[in-house]
Amino acid sequence: MSVRVIVRIVSELCITVGTVIVLFVVYVLFWTGVKADRVMDHQIDQLRQEWAHGNVRPSAAPGAAASPAPTPTAYRSGRPFAIMYIPRLGFTWNKPVLEGTATATLKKGLGHYAGTARLGQTGNFSVAGHRRTYGDPFKDFPRLRPGDAVVLTDGTTWFTYRIDKGPYKTVPTDVEVIAPVPRKSGYTRAGRYLTLTTCDPEWGHSHRLIVWAHLDSTQPVEAGEPEALRR
Amino acid sequence: MYGWIWRQLPGNAWVKALISIVLVLAVVYVLFQYVFPWAEPLLPFNDVTVDNQ
Repeated sequence: MSVRVIVRIVSELCITVGTVIVLFVVYVLFWTGVKADRVMDHQIDQLRQEWAHGNVRPSAAPGAAASPAPTPTAYRSGRPFAIMYIPRLGFTWNKPVLEGTATATLKKGLGHYAGTARLGQTGNFSVAGHRRTYGDPFKDFPRLRPGDAVVLTDGTTWFTYRIDKGPYKTVPTDVEVIAPVPRKSGYTRAGRYLTLTTCDPEWGHSHRLIVWAHLDSTQPVEAGEPEALRR
Repeated sequence: MYGWIWRQLPGNAWVKALISIVLVLAVVYVLFQYVFPWAEPLLPFNDVTVDNQ
């Protein structure tokens, strides 16, 4: 084989590898977002449809912070059960919350840590979400401030949480941030808390960003959207 | 490599160009549909939980 042929083959291989890398970047930056937006919209549609058909338990007493759930049905792994709204991240920002934090689940929405408290119940309702890729749900996570509202609905009740502390930077092994009374959160007694986690830095995985919130108010869906969602 | 593929394609230049485009699209489809979804979780963007579940 002549030198000319070898040089040609090597250069063609280099061009090919370069093209594949560029395509992969396009896939990660752009295509995962397109896919995720479609899937998340589908999850939300599915939830709204289920709720419209009345596959939900009767709503809690109006104004009661202690919303009694007489027969709580277990969240099914990988299935959506709530929609989250965070006005600080944009008034159109709403994402489905699915049970579990498996990789495949987090591609479809935010993931509720299995084993943490149920929505609105005593304990720590903990949710993880992508900072980047798959629709960038928590891209603006560092902009969250104490006092910001995190609103969730499970089809019968609106839950308004208020952020107390964060964003707090920690290491990936710090599992105590999702404990029922999270360490470093400033909470000293058991309560109805919410924890959001995502990765930090934006494209890395060396750290995690955390915010903590407490349940501020609840209201039945019949009472309309909570204060925090009204413009 | 690409020259060799070009010579193997049948027909005149137009037909060859058309087949080439179809081949390129097929490769891109396979990459986006099968290869990249497999490779993407190997990157760190999926690590958003605190307990590495």
